Amino acid sequence: MAQLAFYFDGTRCTGCKTCVFACKDKNNLDTGLAYRRVWEYTGGTTEKGADGTCTTSCFSYYTSVSCNHCDKPICMANCPQGAISKDDETGLMAVDAESCIGCGTCVNACPYGAPKVDPETVKAVRCDGCADLVAAGELPACVMACPARALKFGDAGAMAALGERGAVAPLPDPAETEPNYFMTPTADARAAGSDEGFIGNPLEVA
Amino acid sequence: MIGLDTALGEITLVLFTTLAPAGAMALLLMGLPILSGRASWAEVRRISTYLCLPLIVSMVGLVASATHLGSPANALYVFAAVGSSPLSNEVLCAVIFLMLGGLYWLYSFRRAPSPRLLRLWIGAIDLAALAFIAAVGLAYSARTIISWNLWEVPVAIAANALMGGPLVALASYAVGRCTSLTARRAKGLAALAAGALAASVAVYGLQGVDLGSVGNAVASVTDLVPAYGAAVAAFALLGAGGIVIAWRATRNLPADGTPPEGAIRYQLVGRLCTAAALGLAAIFVMRFCFYLAHLTVGLGV
Repeated sequence: MAQLAFYFDGTRCTGCKTCVFACKDKNNLDTGLAYRRVWEYTGGTTEKGADGTCTTSCFSYYTSVSCNHCDKPICMANCPQGAISKDDETGLMAVDAESCIGCGTCVNACPYGAPKVDPETVKAVRCDGCADLVAAGELPACVMACPARALKFGDAGAMAALGERGAVAPLPDPAETEPNYFMTPTADARAAGSDEGFIGNPLEVA
Repeated sequence: MIGLDTALGEITLVLFTTLAPAGAMALLLMGLPILSGRASWAEVRRISTYLCLPLIVSMVGLVASATHLGSPANALYVFAAVGSSPLSNEVLCAVIFLMLGGLYWLYSFRRAPSPRLLRLWIGAIDLAALAFIAAVGLAYSARTIISWNLWEVPVAIAANALMGGPLVALASYAVGRCTSLTARRAKGLAALAAGALAASVAVYGLQGVDLGSVGNAVASVTDLVPAYGAAVAAFALLGAGGIVIAWRATRNLPADGTPPEGAIRYQLVGRLCTAAALGLAAIFVMRFCFYLAHLTVGLGV
């Protein structure tokens, strides 16, 4: 089975969130619903020494995340309806609206917070990797829109050659679901599970 | 409060996990005189008729759980994932339990039901009830949900059922004027509920210790459930209140189970229903905390 994947270059991302808006525009998402989110992980302190000079350990970096179309999708494993599928040709995840009952089990289980229950339709919704665009030979909307070219999309092997499987805070340990999300971390990046920082933009990603 | 949306959004599941296991355990306990073969035929008929009360308690829970679904009409697909999804297993167990219970109840109205069949049937219902309670406890055992995937969760569900079940069974016996409601049996059921209450408080205490260190980049359980200790105290007080009321209401019942008449009967029913309501309210408090505490490894709250 072929597998498509996202690649994210943390050294290029400026945190502008154009990817978020391109995704919302493409999928016609209302306020309160986003398939892609940009997490700001920040921490450290600045201290003034006895000699009047300042030293800082402050850091801050961004991670753009949507559904990672995982190799071990826990959303699919736990869905009581069997409504979540992984495409044989592309490895992209999709929700069958007919059989989904909107119970939210996928939302509860996903460690990336990727699936949502649409409050209007009360069905689970998620990033499908812009499967329609991909089928037409194009790239997902978020990838095409990124002004810093920090996002890429393609065969998982090719994306894996560009960087490591996403394992920086605030992401979970990739061993949990084996996400098809590869990245080049920034110099400031902390390892997954680190408690050195905190989410700096909680209202943006709520 | 960050997790309040989750808990309020799942309030019907709070209700389901409060009522359904307690109702199942109550049905099991209420049917024990039939299973043991000690009940007279008249008493078998009477208990069989009033087994509908704990069954209704469970059913109200199941119906409540269905109301949080966007498309309950599509819920039959749930059987497609039996074996792979713990939630599907739970629904299957619920359906088997309620179907067995409902059909038993209907069959018991036959002019001359087979005593042997009733007994076997009750045994099957009891097994289904135990499987259902276990399935409810394991429904959310997903390894990524770090605040739910704890050994205390299924144990607490079972202990809660053992606390609420006897109280619901006592109230059901009283409503049905069953002669099985003797002082001795009532004392035994109250003692079972008291033991389960103590076990529940211990399990919740250990769970609180475990949850104290659980968190992800977005929140910690102590952020999500800041009043966990107060909730456990409320659980203990409500549960103890219910048990004491049940014990006081039944301690002077006649040894042969002759049901009281007139005002005394209504008083007994009222007090035992109050006791059951307090027990269920206690469970509701901790089930609400459970949904408040939802947290995955990584980014999920």
